[in-house]
Parts: sequence; structure tokens; C-alpha cells
Amino acid sequence: MLLTTLIFLPLLTALLLVLIPANFRFVLRALSLLATFVTMVLAVVLFAKFQPGVADYQFTAQASWLPALGISYHVGVDGLNVALVLMAAIVGFAATCVSWEIKTGEKLFYILLLLIIGGIIGAFASLDLFFFYFFNELALVPVFIMIGVWGRGPDKNYATFQITLYLSLGAFLALFGLIALYVQSGANSLDLVVLKQHLAQKPLEAGSQKLIFPMLLFGFGVLVGLVPFHTWAPLGYGSAPTATAMMHAGVLKKAGLYAIIRVALPFMPQGVAEWMPILAWLCLGNILYCGWLAMRQKDLNLLIGYSSLAHMGFVFLGIASVSLIGITGAVVIMVAHGLLAALSFALSGWLYNQTGTLEMAKLGGLMRKMPFVGMALVICFMAGCGLPGFGNFVGEALVMFGAWKSLPWFVVAAAWGGLVIGGIYMLRAIRSVVHGPQPDAWSGVSDAGNIWRKLPFAVLIAALIIFGCFPKLLTERIKPNVAEIVEAAAAKAPAKVAVTK
Amino acid sequence: MSLLPWLILFLPLAGAVGITLFTQRDRDLSAKISIAAVWLSFFFSGLLCLFTSGTFKDAGLSAEWLTVGDLVVDFGFIIDPLSSLMLFIVTGVGGLIHIYSYGYMHEDRAVSRFFASLSLFTFAMLGVVLANNLLMMFIFWELVGVSSYLLIGFWYEKESAADAAKKAFITNRLGDFGFILGIILVWATLGGLNFSVLKETLAKNPGAMGGLATAAGLLLFCGAMGKSAQFPLHVWLPDAMEGPTPVSALIHAATMVAAGVYMLCRVFFLLDVPGSHAQLGYMVMAVGLAAPGAAMFHLATHAFFKALLFLGAGSVIHALHHEQDIWKMGGLKSKLPTTYRTFLIGTLALCGVPPLSGFYSKDGILAAASPSGSHPNPFLFILVVGVAALTAFYMARLFLVAFLGKAKDHCVDHAHESPGVMIWPLRILGTLSVIAGFMGLEQMLGRFFGDEHAHSLGYIAQLFAPFGHAPLAAFFGLFATVLGFSVAYALYANASTDPLPAKLGFLARAMRDRFYFDEIYTGLIRLTHEAISYVASWIDRWLVAGLVVRGTHGTTELFGRALRLVQTGNLQTYAFLLVLGVALLLFIILK
Repeated sequence: MLLTTLIFLPLLTALLLVLIPANFRFVLRALSLLATFVTMVLAVVLFAKFQPGVADYQFTAQASWLPALGISYHVGVDGLNVALVLMAAIVGFAATCVSWEIKTGEKLFYILLLLIIGGIIGAFASLDLFFFYFFNELALVPVFIMIGVWGRGPDKNYATFQITLYLSLGAFLALFGLIALYVQSGANSLDLVVLKQHLAQKPLEAGSQKLIFPMLLFGFGVLVGLVPFHTWAPLGYGSAPTATAMMHAGVLKKAGLYAIIRVALPFMPQGVAEWMPILAWLCLGNILYCGWLAMRQKDLNLLIGYSSLAHMGFVFLGIASVSLIGITGAVVIMVAHGLLAALSFALSGWLYNQTGTLEMAKLGGLMRKMPFVGMALVICFMAGCGLPGFGNFVGEALVMFGAWKSLPWFVVAAAWGGLVIGGIYMLRAIRSVVHGPQPDAWSGVSDAGNIWRKLPFAVLIAALIIFGCFPKLLTERIKPNVAEIVEAAAAKAPAKVAVTK
Repeated sequence: MSLLPWLILFLPLAGAVGITLFTQRDRDLSAKISIAAVWLSFFFSGLLCLFTSGTFKDAGLSAEWLTVGDLVVDFGFIIDPLSSLMLFIVTGVGGLIHIYSYGYMHEDRAVSRFFASLSLFTFAMLGVVLANNLLMMFIFWELVGVSSYLLIGFWYEKESAADAAKKAFITNRLGDFGFILGIILVWATLGGLNFSVLKETLAKNPGAMGGLATAAGLLLFCGAMGKSAQFPLHVWLPDAMEGPTPVSALIHAATMVAAGVYMLCRVFFLLDVPGSHAQLGYMVMAVGLAAPGAAMFHLATHAFFKALLFLGAGSVIHALHHEQDIWKMGGLKSKLPTTYRTFLIGTLALCGVPPLSGFYSKDGILAAASPSGSHPNPFLFILVVGVAALTAFYMARLFLVAFLGKAKDHCVDHAHESPGVMIWPLRILGTLSVIAGFMGLEQMLGRFFGDEHAHSLGYIAQLFAPFGHAPLAAFFGLFATVLGFSVAYALYANASTDPLPAKLGFLARAMRDRFYFDEIYTGLIRLTHEAISYVASWIDRWLVAGLVVRGTHGTTELFGRALRLVQTGNLQTYAFLLVLGVALLLFIILK
């Protein structure tokens, strides 16, 4: 029941907002804030009450929906998605907080934002892949509308166009993969519990595994910005309103990664064996290539966009290692990066609202006028280049430890990308945005003054630090389920073993 | 008892957090909180040392931080003579620098931020010292990097300070890149991260590291190079002087640079493999010469007199209202008597004049390399003697020009001695610089690193010990000092401008430009990362986003435009096309 409340509280609030006149702006905002705040608190309760190491899904709820096709509303959490639900709820609250910047069409904006929040929590919590897909699309579609309507910058239309096409195509490819899985498995269900039992008895044929696996990997990979399908991401984030960029870069992207770990890895071990070496090379594209691209950027949002792609490379490296430590690290990064990306875009949104530009050459010396935002920016970028004490470091370190045995040279390259290249562009950004003498143009900018303006930044930083200093909160929950997945993913089909002997 | 290390470590952090969150506005209170935190840590370090006599093992010293599969990371402390000594250096010398800063930074606008950063720095250094495993050490290692970044860039509105901070952090990152890979390599081959576990594994099976020993040693060494600013990662250190002077003292002397040496001593048993010494030897000499005891001894005495010299210089700068050019000073002897006396002690100690501490610690290293020492190495021996002469020369030059002779500029006229909070740390450090050589530190460290011959001597015997056990080293060391002093005296005793650049010509220009390392590195970065990122950006813009994405977009749109021509809205055209289609179908079917 708790989980269902978490999903439907934002969705029903969105419905409620439909009924409120558009000029009741305070009520619209207050209701949205209240709903997302309660959602966040409930998610914390869920996370705290979750029992690590229990074999089954917890907090489950099920309702039959289309029995003929074996589709039911089935939600539950295990170690893999419980932290993602929490992260989504925290980012959702922070994104609602920073939406004071929206001055036109607030009613529609808040409705769409609540749809995204409810939708993505639903996607993470769904145990039926049909509903996973449905909720994910429910969260994705408002993104396109929001960039189109409230977006900024000259490339707004092209960005909307590109992000819509890319993400729709990726989602389509993934949908084909899911349908193929449904048909080929013969389980007459897309329920994860049923599928798991069925496939344990009767694994997919090696041929179909090798075909379906890349559909899921690349279909969901597009949603994450896997190189070379990445060009939509920085452009889209550069043009999106702050809350949308926070939700998409922070939370929605993780749904693709989650599906790869949840579905593609355990159900298709043959596909894993076939495609993981390729993924390892592609993830270097994210870590190194996008890192170098980030070094070249002159616009702060584009820099954050590319660095976010570089962080996704670490998740892919963890997945490609198919090891307990590596994938646990990948999930930790997913959670930490969700908070970090949201924080980055919240800060760049603040700067944009104060200065009207994000061109780094024009900014500078902002620390003097904005001690709080400036400090938050330093903290955020330090976390972004893997400083210990923040969740990202734990994840990246785990990935590097985990991938060392199977992919040592990739770890060397990843360490270079994360520590050195990441250090260079993050430090350059701090140097040119908040350090140095303050240009006269920015003498009128203001800091996040009162507690309400500070709250979203403080919540995100606090969460990053808590997970960074007490990583057991995450890893103890994550690792039992990852162990299961790794075991399934590494298991070769008996027939194949016989052939190789 | 096992509570003490937790208190020692977390008090400065509590100070930093408390100042940042609550006392930003009250500059005086912030400074006092920070000073109280570090001295409480010092006090508890004293208690710890008193009760445990240096070594302490207890379950309460360690907590599980993270366990996934084979990766077990503790958050725990190691208490042994090595870390106890470092605790005293970090909290003691660091604490004196805190007090000194209270005077030095008094008029600065952001005193609270300064003291919060100082406390964070102390916390990070204590973490490095107390860490009982490699990953925890790395974590605090990085925190030392970031807190020194904050301190060097304290005056971030100055372009040069902001640049220096950035440079220091990135250069340190290059070292950390090697460090983390070294840690992963050690973990993968030996299966653990805790120093005690690693030691046991290696004791059971000395060849466990196999062929990877040298690689792991060099990688770990990379990290030390970054922090200790060793060639070729030394470039950040001169720029780091952009920070306030107490920060220079902290970074140079007391702690950060020492962190690299401490780390090497801590992991010495990992590196203690024949073959890997040769490479290391030329870089961190004493460790490379398998004399970590000598290295730690020198590190301790060096902390005293280097901090003394920096703080003395800060006192001069404070008195002269931020004039830093020594050629505008002169005659400070009478104006700043206490600073003059303590600076003299620091200079003599650094130059290795007996019976000051520098003589003994430097002698330890020289003795190890001398023909009768544990690792005879004539090349290194001559090198160290040469460096000792050079040190004596430049310190004497500084001293002659700044403190003696006549005032060269009117700014000296108004100079007056610094206040008590700045002078007392100088006096204490001066005393320590005098006596640290014969207090018995060397023997304590020698025993820790397993040298059975190290036994305590009486103080008097200790005074003359170097001449007894390695006379060659002692005499060569003295000779170098005298040589340096004489040359400096001949050149600078009555000089009013620097005569040396004219005599050295090109060499002087190369030295002024630091042998062009900055230019070489800028060029290297330009050639590699800038160039690659330029190419990557070009590919992304024109090939991926341009040709492929825009191309697909364009082709689709062209196709759409072509198809649009078919939709004329003209009924006759449709009927015509329909008939044409039917005719085509019929032709195909009936063919």
C-alpha cells in the first residue's frame, strides 16, 4: 500500500491541479510542494523499513488488469530499486522547489512535473514490465512538452525535436525487445516474478537471447545516452527548464540502466557473453570521449550534460564487468548521480536566472555575491570529479575495484577519465564561474537567501553526503539482489557448455 | 581508551562543520573554535601516547565501512609509534600555526572561512595518519587535496590565487591516479586493504606480489609524488605560495608535503622488495635507501624548522604590510628582534649546523648512503652533500639580505614586532628545532622499523653520536654547510642588489622561469588533452551530430518532401496514379 501511495500521490495531485483555476498560483505551487514533500517522506520511510537481504520483493501490491495477456499491476521493491525510488522522490521534491522560476503557465507545468514524478516512481516500482514501460513513457512524454514550451536558448526547437525522436526510437527498440521476450519466453507474462521462475525452468534459446539482448541494451542505452547515441543529451539539458533537466538527467535516465540490469542481464546470459565486450568499449566512449568533449564546452549546462554522460560510462563499465562489486557500484552511482545531476542543474538554473547566461567566459567571481550557491557549486563539482565523502566516489571506486579482474586496462582508462579529465573540467568550471574577480555586470545578482530557496540544494547535498559517508546504507540493500543477478548472468546455458567442451 | 582516536580525528571536523553552519558571522568565535579543536586533539593525542606508550590494538578502533564481495573496507585506526609521532606533528605544529593565524589573519574579511578550511585540513591530515587501510588513506588523501585547494585559493578573487589552487589540485590528481590504481593492484594480488592483513600475507608468502611488486610500488609512489611535490609533479608547490603565509607553512612543513613521505613509510613493507628500491631511490632518497626511520626523523625535525621559517617570513611580511621582496628589506635585526632570533635558529637548523636538529636528521640520511652505511651509494651521497651546500647558500643569502645590513627601502622604517600570538609559536618552534635532534626520536623510529641496534643513548652521547657511527657523513655534511655559508657571505654581505643573475647568465634566467617546467607542461596538455578534445568535439559536432543525426533528419525530410509532391489534392492525378498502379500490378501478376 505504501508503494502504491508513493506512485499515485503525485499522479492524483496532478489530477487535482486540473480542477484548480490557473490564476491560483500560490495554491498550485503549495499543493505540488506538499505532495512531493509527503512523497519524499514516505520514500524515506520505505527505505528505512526495507529489510536488506530478504529474498522476496517487499511492500508488494498486485491487482489483475488484463488477465488474458497476463498483465497485472504489480509493484514491489527489492535492494535494486528501493534506493532508486528514494532518489526519485528526493529529486522530485527538489525539482518542485526550484520551479519558482516558472512564471507562465504554471498550472500545466506543475501538472506535467507531477506526472513525471509519479510516473518514474511507478516505473521503478513496477514488477510487471508492461507497467514499467507504461510508467516510463508517462514520465518521458511531459519532458518533450516542457522543453518545447518552457525551454530556453536558440536551439530549443531543435533540442525538443532531437530528444523526442531519439528517446522515442530508443523506447521503441526496447519495446520490440520486451515483446520479443514475451513471445519467445512462452511465459505468457511480463511479470518479473513469473518470468524468472519460467526462465529458470526453460531458458531462452541462445539465438533469441543474442538477438533480444542488443535490442534491450541499445534501446535502453539510447535513453541513457550511450555513445554514439548521446548527442541529444547535452543539447536537451541545455534547453530544458531547470526542473525538467533535473528530473530527466537525474532520474529518468536511470530507468534505462535499471531495465538493463533488471531484465537484460539475468534473463539472457548468452547475450551477456556476446555483447559485454562491445559495451566495455562503448563505455570508454562515454568516460573518455564525453570527458574530452566536456573539456571543450563553453556553456556551463553543456559541460554538465557531457560530464553526466561521462558518469554514465562508469555505470556501463560496472555492468560490463558482470561482477558483484562492479554492478553494486553501478547501482550506487545511479543513485548518487541522480542526486548529483539534479544538484548541478538546480545550481546552473539558479545562475541562469540571476545572470541570464551560462557562458562561462562571461561569468566569474560569483562567489562574492553568492556565498551559498557558490559553495554549493564547489561542493557539487567536487562531488562530480569523484571526491570521497560523496556517494559518487563510493560507486566509482566500487566499479573500478569490481572491473579490475576482468577489464584491467579499461579501469586504468576510467581512472584517468574520472580523476584527471574529470578534475580538469570541473576545476576549470569552478575557476571560471565562481572564482576570479567579479565583473561589474554581476554586482546585482543575489544569493539563495531564505531557507526555502536554500532547501532544495541542502536536501540534495545532504543526501549525497549521507550516502557517501555511510555507503552501507546502500550497499547492504543492493548487494544480495545483485549477487543473484550476477549469478544468473554468468550462468552459461548447459547446451553451450557441452558444445565448447 | 579506544574512544580517543575517534575524538582526535573528529574534533577538527566538528569544528569545521560548526563554523561553516553556525558561526560564519562571528569571526573571533570561529577562530577560537578551530584553535580549541586542534589543541584538544593534541591533548588527546598526548593522553593516547601516555596510556598506550605508542602501540595500541583494540576492536573498538575499527568499524566496518563497506563490504561487497571480496572487498572489505574498514574505517579504522592504526596506533603505533609512526602514527603517534605524526599525530603530534600534525596537531602540535598545526596547532601553533592555528594560533599564529589568529594574529596573522586578524584583519581578513573571511576569517571564519579560513579557520573552517584549516580545521578541515587538520581533519584530513589526521585521517591520513590514523588510517588502518589503503582505501581509507586514499579517502583522506583526497580530502587533504581539496582542503589545501580551499586554503591556497583562499583569496579566490585574485586571479593568481585561483589559478594556483586549480593547478595544485589537478597536479595532485595526477598523483592520485597512480595511487588508486596501486591500491586496486595491491588489493587484487594480496586480497586485502588493511595494513595489518597485508603485512601478514607478505610475512607468510614474501613473493605474493610476484612481478607486480615493482608496478604496485611505482603506482603508490605516484601518489606520494603528487602530495610531496616531487619532480616531475613539483610544479604546483611554488604557486601554492599564493595562499596566506600560514597556509604555506602548513602545506610545506607541517603536514601535506609530509603526507607523501608518511604514506611511503606506512606502505614501506609493500615496497620492500629487491629491485624496486633502485627506481625509488633516486626519488625519495631515504625511503629508497631502505631507511624509513631516517626519513620519518627528518620529516619531524623538518616540520619544526620549516614551519618556523615560514612563520618567521610571515611575521616579516606582516610587519612590512605585505611587502615580500627581500631586496626592499634589510636591517630587520633591530626592528624585529624575536623574529630575527628565531629565524636564525630555523636557518641554522635547516642548514644542518650542529647541535640543531637538522644536523642529526640529515646525517641519518647521509649515513645511510655513505660508504659505511646500510645502502652505500656514492652518487646519492655526493648529491645530498651538494644539495646541503646549496641549501646553506640560499638560506644564508636570504638571511644576509633581509635581516642584516642596511635598510634598502623606507618600508622597513615603520616595521614593528608582531603581536604575541604570532611570536610565541615562533619561540616554541625555535626551541623544538634546537632540541629535536637529540631527544631520542631517531632511536624510537629505528626500533619501529626493526633496527635492533637502535638503543637510547644519554643526551650527551646523543649529541656526538653522528661523529661516532658515521664520521665521514658527519664531516661531509658540515663541510657542505660551511662552504655554502662562505660563498653566500662573500657575495651578499654588503650587496644592495642581487649580483648572481649577471654572473650566471642564461642559467639564471632558466632558474627564474623554473627551468620552463610550467611551459613544458602547458605545452604537453595542449598537445595531448586539448588536441584530443578538439578532435573529439569536431567529430561530435560534424560527424555524429552533423552527418549522422542531421543527415538522418535531412534524408527523412527530403523523402517527406518528395512524397508530398504526390499529394497534389487533384482528383485526376489520383485517378491517374491509381490506374497506373493497377496496370503495374496486372503487368507483374500476368507476366
